[in-house]
Amino acid sequence: MPTIEVYHGAAASFWRVMAIARRHAYVLQRSPHRLFDIIVWPVVDVILFGTIGVFAAGRLGGAGQVALYLLVGVVLWHVVYQAQISLATGFLEETWSRTVLSLLVTPMREWEYVAGVALFGLVKLLGGVGAVALIAWAAYAFKITTLGWGLIPVAALLLAVGWAIALFVIGLVLRFGSGAEALAWGILFVVMPLSGTFYPVSALPAVLRPIGTLLPTTHAFAAGRAFAQGAATPWHELGLAAAGTAVMLALGFGYVVWMLRVFRARGFVTRYS
Amino acid sequence: MSPPAALRAAGLVKSYRRGRAVDGVDLTVALGERVALLGPNGAGKTTTLLMCLGAVTPDAGTVEILGHRLPRERSHALARVGFTAGYLPLPERMRVVEYLRLYARLAGLRRPDVAARAALDRFGVSHLARAMGTELSSGQKTLVGIAKAVLHRPALLVLDEPTASLDPDVALRVRTGLREISAELGTALLVTSHNMVEVERLCERVVFLSAGQVVANGTPAQIIDRYGHDDLEGVFLHLS
Repeated sequence: MPTIEVYHGAAASFWRVMAIARRHAYVLQRSPHRLFDIIVWPVVDVILFGTIGVFAAGRLGGAGQVALYLLVGVVLWHVVYQAQISLATGFLEETWSRTVLSLLVTPMREWEYVAGVALFGLVKLLGGVGAVALIAWAAYAFKITTLGWGLIPVAALLLAVGWAIALFVIGLVLRFGSGAEALAWGILFVVMPLSGTFYPVSALPAVLRPIGTLLPTTHAFAAGRAFAQGAATPWHELGLAAAGTAVMLALGFGYVVWMLRVFRARGFVTRYS
Repeated sequence: MSPPAALRAAGLVKSYRRGRAVDGVDLTVALGERVALLGPNGAGKTTTLLMCLGAVTPDAGTVEILGHRLPRERSHALARVGFTAGYLPLPERMRVVEYLRLYARLAGLRRPDVAARAALDRFGVSHLARAMGTELSSGQKTLVGIAKAVLHRPALLVLDEPTASLDPDVALRVRTGLREISAELGTALLVTSHNMVEVERLCERVVFLSAGQVVANGTPAQIIDRYGHDDLEGVFLHLS
């Protein structure tokens, strides 16, 4: 009988993270309909908003700005969207395939699972955002590289916000069961208009502006537009976005840990077994 | 201080909205021991198992696996535990070998392919390695599920209704495989089942639960004697 050799500590964690990422790669490979989130929606969005931008540019004086706002907005929006949807639906996959109990009864720690799903989510994100950027360039001559190096911090902040929202969704699914899964897709469509994705937050109705101002996405999109227009580095917006993102991540982690405790205390695992 | 057992649960209590599911259960499984947890539907068997595995938090009581206290040392404890249940499906979008490799990695194994092959060989289902989970019969799924549970040669193997709805041939193969694992590796077994014949053949000790409490605990022969029946099935009907 072959001997059993076991990893310990960081090496064991690394391979667990990789194993979870690989498990989700198999799911995507064998579920072509999942490409809808990664390819189809992004392409539909960029064509929709890019075309509105081009139409507006033709009708309004100096409306090149509108096209820029829309194209920068749609490309950056898909960073949030892909980050959020890949992590949230990654966990939902475990509920659909009823593997929650089997995973809970392994030495895997919660953060290793989240890291594994998020890691494969990065691959999906590259696919989705790549598709958006490619269509924006091919159809509307918009190069995402016009954001320059500023693209990196803006995309990193939006990525982290997407993960924070996904943690919140996972917490809701742990607490309320499959009934909450619609939020995996729906919650983003509450965040998007409030975040000034395609317009400055000052364009929102006055009553909604304070909410928009509180969201880190609002400041990240504003920073992205500033970079695209070649303005000076918007440190103020980046700082607000970073602070807000840190708060959202802390709240997201705190909420999911709390809900996992409730999940175990109330025996909700039997919903998925 | 008592030596570490494979499992030591003391004073487990769990209430749900509908009432108390487990009411002060003490359960110890010694290293290498084969124990059956029996009782009618709703007796609290699965809740007890889930608390012992850290998937459900007890309202009161403590759980130790190989001396590791839950939930604080959950990861260390579960590294030495294998678990499967007859009601758990295999993931739909994975091949058997991919599924086994996943759980081998989660257990920290350096050579997941070797472990997967050895586990499939043990239960005579190597030919299923490339099959998708959805292509398997219920018996094959059970065998693959048990192969998954023993990949890392656990010190404690917890099986919830492992042979439910299996034909006698597959059930025999499962029992034989489990006895071999226990004998070769010193793996302790904690099994729930409604099949009393299977329990008598597989387990050295039986713990009966009724209404969330332990109502009998001993070898099958002792329990049969104590209640004056011919077999465990008679005792089961008596205690249910």
